[in-house]
Amino acid sequence: MLNANLINSLSGLLILSSLLVIETRKLRISAIYYSVQSLVLVVIFLALAVSMHAEQLYLWAASAFITKAILVPYIIYRAQQYTGGEDVPTAIKPTLSIVLAAVSLVVSFVVINQLELKIAAGFKPALAVSVAHFFFGQLCILTQRNLLKQVMGFCLMENGSHLTLALMAYDAPELVEIGIATDAIFGVLIMAVLAVQIYRKLNTLDAASLTTLKG
Amino acid sequence: MYAQSLSWLLLAPFLLSLAAFAMRWAGKRSIWLAELIHLVSITAVLLLSMHVVQGVLAQGSISALNDWLHVDALAAVFVTIVGVVGFLVGVYALGYIRHDLSSGVLQPQQVTLFYGLLNLFLFTMLLVVVSNNIIMMWVAVEATTLGSAFLVGIYGQRASLEAAWKYVIICTVGVAFGLYGTILVYSDAVHFMKEPGMAILWTQIVENAQALDPTILKLAFVFVMIGFGTKAGIFPMHAWLPDAHSEAPSPVSALLSGVLLKCALFVVIRFAIILSRGIGAEFPHLILLIFGALSVTVSTLFMFVQRDLKRLLAYSSVENIGLIVLALGVGGPLGVLAGLMHAVNHSLVKSLMFLTSGNILMKYHTRDLGKIHGMLQAAPLTSLLLLAGGLALAGSPPFNIFISKFSIFSAGMQSGHIWLMLVCLAFLAVAFAALLRVISSSLFGQAPDEMAAGEVQPLTLAPIAVLLVLAITLGLYLPPQIALLLNQAAGIALPPGSVASAPGALLNWLVLP
Repeated sequence: MLNANLINSLSGLLILSSLLVIETRKLRISAIYYSVQSLVLVVIFLALAVSMHAEQLYLWAASAFITKAILVPYIIYRAQQYTGGEDVPTAIKPTLSIVLAAVSLVVSFVVINQLELKIAAGFKPALAVSVAHFFFGQLCILTQRNLLKQVMGFCLMENGSHLTLALMAYDAPELVEIGIATDAIFGVLIMAVLAVQIYRKLNTLDAASLTTLKG
Repeated sequence: MYAQSLSWLLLAPFLLSLAAFAMRWAGKRSIWLAELIHLVSITAVLLLSMHVVQGVLAQGSISALNDWLHVDALAAVFVTIVGVVGFLVGVYALGYIRHDLSSGVLQPQQVTLFYGLLNLFLFTMLLVVVSNNIIMMWVAVEATTLGSAFLVGIYGQRASLEAAWKYVIICTVGVAFGLYGTILVYSDAVHFMKEPGMAILWTQIVENAQALDPTILKLAFVFVMIGFGTKAGIFPMHAWLPDAHSEAPSPVSALLSGVLLKCALFVVIRFAIILSRGIGAEFPHLILLIFGALSVTVSTLFMFVQRDLKRLLAYSSVENIGLIVLALGVGGPLGVLAGLMHAVNHSLVKSLMFLTSGNILMKYHTRDLGKIHGMLQAAPLTSLLLLAGGLALAGSPPFNIFISKFSIFSAGMQSGHIWLMLVCLAFLAVAFAALLRVISSSLFGQAPDEMAAGEVQPLTLAPIAVLLVLAITLGLYLPPQIALLLNQAAGIALPPGSVASAPGALLNWLVLP
């Protein structure tokens, strides 16, 4: 039970760190916060591995450490170097986006509490956090106009769905985890390259300037 | 033997795509070698897919790699689409890309990248339709987006990069919902299966569908519909589609519309089957009817106001995907069969139309319908293909789409959805008008003065002509093997027992000339 408490409280840290990722204006700092968050996720995977006796999760922890704590922040860091760390305004005020985040957190808790789950029953708070985290990522994509910040939103989404997977599908075969991790890292890489290409063409990372195609 | 073909069907395009990427460093011969590798790859995909389908007809289904790969008749229909359309579009791409290269739109290095990505894209689509592991199926759908993102943006122009960005963002966000649907089903199934490894297999889940929790199944299906529906271009999640389909190079547009949308829809069908076995077909049918009818009605209006040829074709894809979804929502033997037939027919005709639009683009250097006139004089062969393809797409006889559209509406009327069908028919008339307008304004009128008569790239005409022959053939006569395959596929999608009485009657109806 101690372990369940540990996991549930660690998942609370995820919420805090993702708010920092979303609200920090400087991409470099944002990438560092993301790296910290991914380390928390790695610790959660390890704790889950111990408490559920799920050997596979050690592999998940290792791959999350390499891809999420090191590679993704590095890709974002390099991409922002290419694009000169431009300061792009956000679509809505930070206070409003925090309110929206809080709303999605409450909704996730309510919905998860009503589901009758046979699996991960002791981890409902962590599960709710993982779902909320998924919506935080989408919120980030919708409210941030900086293309690279939208990529970070995609990463937050991935962290959320990855935690859901670890809680509900930890006994899935390893190859599945390898496939998902590969998709995630290539996804970030491709988006970052596209963002840099767009910057070179348009000389801005502002999504509001992507208005050629309509109707 | 068939199992080996199935494994090679995935391995061949994957390995050959890596080889095509590597040709970047092959020096002077790099383009020629990349073209050769591409040709070998698409030929291998065509032959292997036909062999796999033959195996399904002979023995019912084929499995490989511990049941992680599984091709039944339903999957075989989609394997056929990838194999045949993939091959013909692949041949067309040789001529089209050469033209892009000679006119300076693409650089030599981009050509090797293009062939590598195109074959990687084929591999990911094949992986979607042959996966039996539902999470791997999701991984494959996500991989199709990643594989095709650079293909959409390969021209590096402002509009194409914007389209690629929207495509990646909307599809990855959308498809992530699909992952939640998949996890819900898996985590519920894992309880009563002997081994966790079994709960991940579609074949096992379907057999034990009645043990699944009804609430979780419904929730999962909504997630699946949003997630994979985004990728399938179903309204209102279709926002990426008109941009990506119009900005991509024409062979890529043909693959996106003709093949990719069907692969995503295939995943929706797989989950709808789990639901209908588990809790009955009412819930999935309702959801499918709503999304299908919305897609048909809204997209036809968008078609009517388009002035860009490729955007118009893109909205027509939303319409036709909507029709397939509508047919699946009507259900019953005729509905499901008509839906599957329409999937095949639309693949052939829409890839035909996008490839023809590529020829028009090579000749006129524009997609603006206000500037494309006088094709009958300027490019007589292409204009005939546009005429036939446009009529086929609009649903006139003797082309294949007429048969499947007619079947969809018969099925809908028979099952009592009379008003819904009448409304959708009225909107189809709008689509018909939009397509007739394209044909008449492009074929007739005055070609630009400085334009010489003749085709730009004769090599590109052959694959389109083959697609046209297929479209006419399937409109007049359904070969027994295809009828059998579609019939068995419908049998998988229908509740057990309901098909037993159906095959004879349906076959008679369909095979009649």
